[in-house]
Amino acid sequence: MIAVDLLFGALVSLLCGLDRTALLQVMISRPLVAAPLVAWLLGEPLVGLQVGVMVELLWLARLPVGAAIPPDDTQVSIAGTVLAISLGKALHADSLELLLLCLLVAIPLGKVGQFFDHAARQYNVRLLNRAETALANGNLFAVEFQHLRGILSFSLAAIGTYSFIVVSGLLLIPLCWSLVQHPLEHSSSWLQLALPLVGVAVILGTINVSRALTLFCATFGTAFLLMWLV
Amino acid sequence: MSLSRVTRIHVWFRMLLLQGSWNFERLQGLGFLYALLPALKKIYRREELLKVGKEHLSYFNTHPYLAPAVAAAVLKLEEQRAAKEELPVAISDFKEMVAAPYAAIGDALFWGGLRPLAAGIALFFAAKGILWAPVVFLLLYNAVPIWFRVAGFVRGYRLGVQSVEFLQRHRLPDWAIHTKEAAIVVLGGFSAFLVFQQLQQQALPSWLGLFTLLPMIMLGLIARKGVSTLMLTLLTAIIIVLAGLFWADLTSWVAL
Amino acid sequence: MSIVLTRIDNRLIHGQVLESWVPYIHADCIVVANDEMAATPLKRMMMEASVPSRMRVEIGSIEDTVALFASKKLDHCKALLLFGSTIDALRAYRLGLIYQQLNLGNLHAGEGKARLSCTIFIDRDGLEDLEQLELAGVKITARCIPADIERSWRKLIPNRGGKG
Repeated sequence: MIAVDLLFGALVSLLCGLDRTALLQVMISRPLVAAPLVAWLLGEPLVGLQVGVMVELLWLARLPVGAAIPPDDTQVSIAGTVLAISLGKALHADSLELLLLCLLVAIPLGKVGQFFDHAARQYNVRLLNRAETALANGNLFAVEFQHLRGILSFSLAAIGTYSFIVVSGLLLIPLCWSLVQHPLEHSSSWLQLALPLVGVAVILGTINVSRALTLFCATFGTAFLLMWLV
Repeated sequence: MSLSRVTRIHVWFRMLLLQGSWNFERLQGLGFLYALLPALKKIYRREELLKVGKEHLSYFNTHPYLAPAVAAAVLKLEEQRAAKEELPVAISDFKEMVAAPYAAIGDALFWGGLRPLAAGIALFFAAKGILWAPVVFLLLYNAVPIWFRVAGFVRGYRLGVQSVEFLQRHRLPDWAIHTKEAAIVVLGGFSAFLVFQQLQQQALPSWLGLFTLLPMIMLGLIARKGVSTLMLTLLTAIIIVLAGLFWADLTSWVAL
Repeated sequence: MSIVLTRIDNRLIHGQVLESWVPYIHADCIVVANDEMAATPLKRMMMEASVPSRMRVEIGSIEDTVALFASKKLDHCKALLLFGSTIDALRAYRLGLIYQQLNLGNLHAGEGKARLSCTIFIDRDGLEDLEQLELAGVKITARCIPADIERSWRKLIPNRGGKG
C-alpha cells in the first residue's frame, strides 16, 4: 500500500516541482496547494491542509530572485504529507505527533532541494552549449529540443529531492517514533501553532517595508482584542 | 509583414515554458529564443533567421510574468527590422534595458507582495479546515499575473517600445509596497486568530495571547540579522518540546 | 558613514538588490555609478521607475558619483552603491570614492571569462582590478543575497590564470 502512496506523491512532486521554475508558475508549487493536493489523492485532505498551514509561511520570504535558489518547500510539504499519511497507516498512529515528526524530519532536508536544483541549472549550461552549436549548424529543431530537455533536468531535480526526503523519512521516522511520541504529546499543539508564527516572524524580519514590525503589532493587537471582546 | 494572430498566440503559449532550460550562464536566454522561434521563422528567411536567432540566444533574465510583454514588443521590433524600417532602439539594447527593471518590479509586486497577501487570506480558510483553501489561494493569486501576462503581451505587440511607459505611469513599485503592507495586516490578523484559537482550545485565559508578540518580534529581529529560517524553526521546536517536558514533570511533581 | 553596501552587479538595480539587500541593510538611497546608464535617458528612466518612490535614486557617471559623495550631500543617507563592472569600481576608488568592503553579486559569463561561482564570471583584467582594490585595503567578498554564505573571492579562484 505504501508503494502506491509514494507513487502518487511522486506524481504530484513532479507536477508541482516543475511549476516552481520550469513551467507556468501558477503557484501550484506552494505548500498550501501542493500538500492538500497530494493528501486529497491519498484520501486524507485535512492532513494536507495542516501541513499547508505549517509550511506555507516558513520560506515565503525567500524569493526566487535571479540566480538565488530558495530551499525547496514544495518537496518538503509533499514528502512530509506522504510520509505522515503512509506511516500513519503502517504504524497505526494517525496523530498530530507523527505529522509533526515527519515535518521536522522533512524541513531540514529542503536544503537537499537547493542542491538538486542547483545541479539542474548547472547541467542546463550544457544544453545551452549544444543549442548554440545546433543553431550554428542551422538545426532549429535541435535548438527547440535542447530547451525542452531542460525541463527533464528540473523534473529529475524535483523527483530526486522528493525521493531523498521520503527515503530518509522512511528510514528515520519508524526508528525514532517510539522515542519521540511521548515527549511530543505535551507540546504538539503548541508546535503546530509555532511553525506558522515562525514563518510570519521571518517575513516581518526580511520584508521590504519600513516599520513592518510596528504595523504587524498594531494589527495583531487590534484583531486579538476584537476576537476577545466579541 | 505583420504576424498572424495564430503565430502570436503560439509565442504566448511558449512563453509559459520560458524557464524550462534556465541555466547559470545565460539564465532565460535559450527559453526566450525558443518562445520567439515560431514568429522569427515567419518573419525571416533562413540565413537571416540564423543570425537573428544567435542574437536572441544571448543573456536574458526577467520576471516570468512580465516576460510576455518584452517578447511582444520584441516581435514588433523584429517586424520593423525585417521591413528595413528605422528602429527607435536596437533590439538587443531594448531587451537589456527592460530586463532588470521588469525583474525588479515583478519580484517586488508578485513574489514580495501578492504571494504573501493571497497566502495570508487563504490561510484563514485552511486553518478553519475548509478544503477549498488552496482553490481560494490560486484564484486570488493568479488573477493579477494572468492579466499581466495577457494584457502585457497584447499591449507590447501593439505599442512596441512605447509599451514600457505603463511602468512609469502606474508607479508599480509603490503598489508593491502597498501590497506588502496589506499582506502584513492580513498576516497580523491571521497570527492573532491562530493564537486565540489555541488558547480557547487549551482553556487558557485569552490575555496571555498578547505575550506571543514578544517572541515573534525577537524572532523577526534575529531573522533580520540573516539567521536562516531553518535555524529559527529548529530552535523554536527544541525550546517548545523541552518546555513541554519540563511542564509535564512540574505538574506531575506538584500533583504528588 | 554613508555607504552601507558597495556591490558589483551587471544588472545594477534588480530584484536581488531591492528585495533582499535593501531591507537587510536598511538602505534608503541607491546610487548607481555607470557611464552608459547615465548617458542613455531611456535606460535611466526605466531603472528609476523600478524603485519605490520613497527611496532616493542617484544615477550618474563614475565621475559624477565620486563628486556626489565628495559633496557630502549623501552623508545623512544609508546608501547602497552599485557598479556594473570591476573596472568601474576600481576607477571610482582611484578617483577618491573610498569604500571598505566590496560585494560581488552578478558578473555575467562571456568570452575568456573564468567561473568563480554560479553567478560570477571574471576575465584576467577583472581579476587584476580586484587584486588592486584588495591591495588598497578593500575587503572583497562574494554573496548573491544576504541569505547566502559570504565567501572571500580568493577562495573562489580555481587556479590562477587557468580556465574555470
